[in-house]
Amino acid sequence: MTVARIRALLRKEFLDLARNPTALVPVVLVTILTLVTAFGIAVALPILTGHLLGEDADLLKLSGLMGTHDELSGDGRIQLFLFEQFLLLFLVIPITGAMALAAHAVVGEKQARTLEPLLATPITTFELLVAKVLGALLPTLAVSLTGLALYVLGIALLAEPGVIGAMASARTAVLLLVVGPAAALVSLQSAIVISSRVNDPRTAQQFGVMIIIPLSALLVAQFMGTVWLSATSLALIGLGLLGVWLVLTVFSVVIFEREAILTRWR
Amino acid sequence: MITARGLTRRFGSRVVVDDVSFEVGRSEIVALLGPNGAGKTTTMRMLAGLIAPTSGAVVIDGVHLTRATGTLLRSRIGFLTEAPGVWDRLTVHENLRVYAGLYGLANPNGVIDRALELFELRDRASTRAAELSKGMRQKVALARALLHEPRILLLDEPTSGLDPEITRSVRALLDDRRAAGCSILLSTHNLDEAERLADRVAVLHGRLLALDSPAVLRQRLRTGRVIVCLAGDPAAHLDTARRFDRDTSVDGNTIVLRLASAEHDTPALVSALAAAGARIVEVRQEVPALEDVYLHLMGDR
Repeated sequence: MTVARIRALLRKEFLDLARNPTALVPVVLVTILTLVTAFGIAVALPILTGHLLGEDADLLKLSGLMGTHDELSGDGRIQLFLFEQFLLLFLVIPITGAMALAAHAVVGEKQARTLEPLLATPITTFELLVAKVLGALLPTLAVSLTGLALYVLGIALLAEPGVIGAMASARTAVLLLVVGPAAALVSLQSAIVISSRVNDPRTAQQFGVMIIIPLSALLVAQFMGTVWLSATSLALIGLGLLGVWLVLTVFSVVIFEREAILTRWR
Repeated sequence: MITARGLTRRFGSRVVVDDVSFEVGRSEIVALLGPNGAGKTTTMRMLAGLIAPTSGAVVIDGVHLTRATGTLLRSRIGFLTEAPGVWDRLTVHENLRVYAGLYGLANPNGVIDRALELFELRDRASTRAAELSKGMRQKVALARALLHEPRILLLDEPTSGLDPEITRSVRALLDDRRAAGCSILLSTHNLDEAERLADRVAVLHGRLLALDSPAVLRQRLRTGRVIVCLAGDPAAHLDTARRFDRDTSVDGNTIVLRLASAEHDTPALVSALAAAGARIVEVRQEVPALEDVYLHLMGDR
């Protein structure tokens, strides 16, 4: 593997994206939407309706899943619960926007007839696919991290006192540092696999969107209190996702048939 | 040096390239001629290591092209694909900069500057590829293929879509590369180009129908027809000419006849006509064009 070749292709990916920033609009929009929804539900709605969060018995009960936080008011405990839920959503949903980038990665080059000269260089399949995944992942992470900074700032400024401190937990760290990036890698690598096997970017995107189904199910289950994932559970899920990503990476290299892509795709 | 040994490529039951063998030596240009679907691009792709032959072997500079040696050999080959395949949103310089990185060039900006100079693209360096004309895109693709100064050049229709001025500069460039010791295989539909540029011409139609220098190929189709232009009335000398060919005809101020051995009989014919008082202006053998040879070979398949 040559890092220089990955860097060279990555440079192309970033330049291409810089010239076509609208490709990132879905990621930015989803991030903004998540921010607005989270603060709307946890902060704005109670103020606008005059109904405090702590008055909702069901929400209070659900917030108990977070453990006892006696230092927080009832409103604060519910805000903590909601912001933790939205954190997961916040980390995962922008990936769906990046799916468009990843899904387009290989089939897009083929359609533009730029793949053949690229494959005629010394670049290996592994290097090509790593560059393509990073090309979709890094801009998405940049948007996500910017949104995350705003999220933390918003909680510090707008939430009940003590909520931001209560969120600084091992669970949050695992979510941010392991589950989020691992889920992103799995999703984008899957999209690259699909992009290498179909001959139309739209097909790749349609398949790619299916990846959010299990993630959505997990989110709904968490909101309903059916499933509550502890820091340990999340760490295991994160490690499992990293394992899946490694397998997918090897798989994507194995099934990437340069010859079939050049000769059979029309 | 490029060596193709018994290259065969099937797609399903269809044999696209059938037992093709040839060599392109150092400082040599070989032109691959053939109609659409003749297997030119497939042959090029096999030589570039992009697709594997069903059977047969490719040897580049003494190294067998295999999955294991593919990466190494691709770094020695400059491949111009059928379509220019430049990234539209990137500028000319950026396109070349990415490829300089992919080839691991030590001084990418210096190399790119030289390429821009060579292809007269300096004033377009900051122009996005999408804004370039077809000919300019082809020039960028050629610059890209030559960026790493490969000793092996595989060029799929290098002058396709180029205007005559650019075509001439590309031909001059290929001449230079040949002089620098490169082995160059180019495919073309342009018979005139093949004749001007190539040391040898390979006519392909699935199988290799012919492989030789343009002069030798033309020789194959020699008709033995000799054309004698005269000042004065050629009919007056028909009888003299008919001693050499009973079917001699007159066409304007020329006598046209067919000699069994043009090289042997032409001096005797000229002497006989001169002795008969004919005022000879010009004597020439009818030489077929490469196009005639090509069409003849295609017709013979």
